[in-house]
Amino acid sequence: RGCSRSTRVLFHEYSIKAAILIQRWYRRYVARLEMRRRYTWNIFQSIEYAGEQDQLQLSSFFSFMLDNFTHMNGNGPGNKYLISHLLDSVVDPLTEEVRQLKYEQIVVPESYCGPRLSFPLSVTDTNALLSAFKEEQTLHGKYVLQLLYETKKFLKQMPNIIYLSTSYAKEITICGDLHGRLDDLLLIFYKNGLPSAENPYIFNGDFVDRGKKSTEIIIILFAFLLLYPDHMHLNRGNHEDHIMNLRYGFTREVMQKYKTHGREMLQLLQDVFSLLPLATVIDNKVLIVHGGISDKIDLDFLSTVERHKVKSVLRLPKRSVVDILWSDPKNQSGCSPNYFRGGGCYFGPDVTQALLQKHGLCLLIRSHECKQEGYELCHNGQVITIFSASNYYEEGSNRGAYVKLGPELVPRFFQYQVSRSTRKLTLHQRVCVAEGSALRALKEKLYAHRSDLMAAFQQYDIDNTGRISTSEWAQVVESVLRLDLPWRTLRPRLARLGADGNVEYESCFEDISPGEPIPPVTPNLAETLYRYRTDLEIIFNIIDKDHSGQISIEEFRQTWKLFSSHLGVAVDDQTIDDMARSIDFNKDGSIDFNEFLEAFRVVHKLDIKEQQQG
Amino acid sequence: MAPKKIEPKKPEPKKPEPKKEEAPAPAPVTETPKEPELDLKSIALEFTADQIEEFKDAFTLFDETPTGEMKIRYTQCGDVLRALGYNPTNGDVLTVLGKPKAEDMNTKYLDFETFLPMLQHISRAKDQGTFEDFVEGLRVFDKEGNGTVMGAELRHVLATLGEKMTEDEVDRLMAGQEDANGCINYTSFIKHILSG
Repeated sequence: RGCSRSTRVLFHEYSIKAAILIQRWYRRYVARLEMRRRYTWNIFQSIEYAGEQDQLQLSSFFSFMLDNFTHMNGNGPGNKYLISHLLDSVVDPLTEEVRQLKYEQIVVPESYCGPRLSFPLSVTDTNALLSAFKEEQTLHGKYVLQLLYETKKFLKQMPNIIYLSTSYAKEITICGDLHGRLDDLLLIFYKNGLPSAENPYIFNGDFVDRGKKSTEIIIILFAFLLLYPDHMHLNRGNHEDHIMNLRYGFTREVMQKYKTHGREMLQLLQDVFSLLPLATVIDNKVLIVHGGISDKIDLDFLSTVERHKVKSVLRLPKRSVVDILWSDPKNQSGCSPNYFRGGGCYFGPDVTQALLQKHGLCLLIRSHECKQEGYELCHNGQVITIFSASNYYEEGSNRGAYVKLGPELVPRFFQYQVSRSTRKLTLHQRVCVAEGSALRALKEKLYAHRSDLMAAFQQYDIDNTGRISTSEWAQVVESVLRLDLPWRTLRPRLARLGADGNVEYESCFEDISPGEPIPPVTPNLAETLYRYRTDLEIIFNIIDKDHSGQISIEEFRQTWKLFSSHLGVAVDDQTIDDMARSIDFNKDGSIDFNEFLEAFRVVHKLDIKEQQQG
Repeated sequence: MAPKKIEPKKPEPKKPEPKKEEAPAPAPVTETPKEPELDLKSIALEFTADQIEEFKDAFTLFDETPTGEMKIRYTQCGDVLRALGYNPTNGDVLTVLGKPKAEDMNTKYLDFETFLPMLQHISRAKDQGTFEDFVEGLRVFDKEGNGTVMGAELRHVLATLGEKMTEDEVDRLMAGQEDANGCINYTSFIKHILSG
């Protein structure tokens, strides 16, 4: 008996020791995971902001074009064609009646088994749409056109600012950015119920772009808008803008899903987007706008703005509209230009306080920025950011949320997160996936600036050893990429150390290689093309009026020349011509620009290895 | 007399202490539970400038102050120490924090300068625990001596002994580790934990 007791005591002691050891290591493991999760988040945010900064470039390119319209080299047909493509506004030759008739006459084949809408819409229609989209069906182009047309008619009557009340003890639900994530919208409806007279909703902009189901989202939102005009409200976001759509995916989605009617839909959408109200006010106390405010915003003035004229703020930067759609709050006082976004302001708590006071308001609700928890308060609780696209950067990156306000105007937050896999991922797996994605994006950035980085590295590497200290490496990367990230913490994931403990700087490019064999251009030019790939894509898409994916060699030449002269990149004509000819695979004088751009997509070697090991 | 500022780079020669002639021991690296009061000011920093920059990066990641003041809450101190690769016990963390009251953990902040000597102290701890220690520790629960432990038993131990873990923490730790019979192959389990 005595023996077994002392054995038990010993066992107990060992158990405690073992427990403590496991617990210590577990807590270390959790902290390291948390660190990775945090820097992953920083990477995504920094890259996104840096990407939006490129918008400034594009908009200044258009200004450049306008300024230089009359000074273009020669008046050859190529030039005129290009300019007119970029600058002409969409002319609507059809009258209302003719257009309506035209849509009614579109024949829908018997074989089509999706929803057939009838106007005015009823609950049957919205239910049919929801079921259809859950089954991954596509709504026939005829109904989309009719829906967009009716929405445009409806929105024309709306003022710039909508005033609502929470009378009848109704709670209003406010949702933020959805960015084409249908799963998130469906999840919100599942948790919170469908829009109805008893369940009013406000959607605060950015319904489209980035996600793959932007079309479905706007169809659903517009359908509910027409069905419950007093209980469903949509604010315009900065992505309700056809130039943003060219870059961030909505245009491509529409053209791919609707080959026959896509162009006309996009034309209608230009008008619909510009007719979306700019702001909503609840009980004269809560202001809801997509981006934010500035020290120049005045609601009375805002209600007089001719909003329908602003098809895109990138071509017509009307100050108040830009501020409303693009601004972000900051913690320091004052109001400064938002260089990251290229438009709008950073507004401080004093600006918020001043505006709220001026109009007798108590709260500002806005969206526009992704938040890990789906929502965030700032400016002493006077500003709420609400963001409804979960997993925005990557699976597991963030939650989505919506906020409900009742007559007492106390916000209640509800969070959720869509899970794509049927098997629930552990936190560790989610962090790994998100981190992998973030690091890949970061490596691509490094690759896109390889020449500048190498030149700067070599300045520190006087003896040409191929190595520099971690501090020097971090300084170079930070100053060239201009991303404020914890580079020293990230270093082990990006570059190798030599035996002497210094960084082998070329190793940060090792993992990336160009995918397709690129046209014979200098590495410098290749990098430039890689860096501005997205902007070039936008411009090609604008030029390609019939959305065939083809442009002429002449157009290619002209675009590139204009763009590079704007960027100040020296490219001689011969190089451009060589490039154009080498991409003209069919030798028929036209270029498939998607193939061209594909050449500037990179491949991550580690991914290939993993796939091969499978 | 030098003003009472914390200057981590230079250990202060004069301190407001009871009249002991002996200089206090730099870092008590004993394993006995009862330790003498830890005096942060007496810890000489041995980190290089490069290392300090690296620590700053990690510290900044955990800074949640709205204006980026380079401060973390007491309750985050353990996280940052561990994020940097060390594995103090919760008791160790409370010691370097100066045994604060429970309510201070969420309300008090420490800045980077205050954090450095804490990190130095923790980094000197001898007993980090090796892979073998770990295996030995888990073998205690390996009733059948076949390289596996019962998940349920491990859960119970971790939640009731030592520096108890919460149910959430235990769930996260065990996620995906137990097989169909509720057993854990502890070698792979250990590798999983140590790899973080």
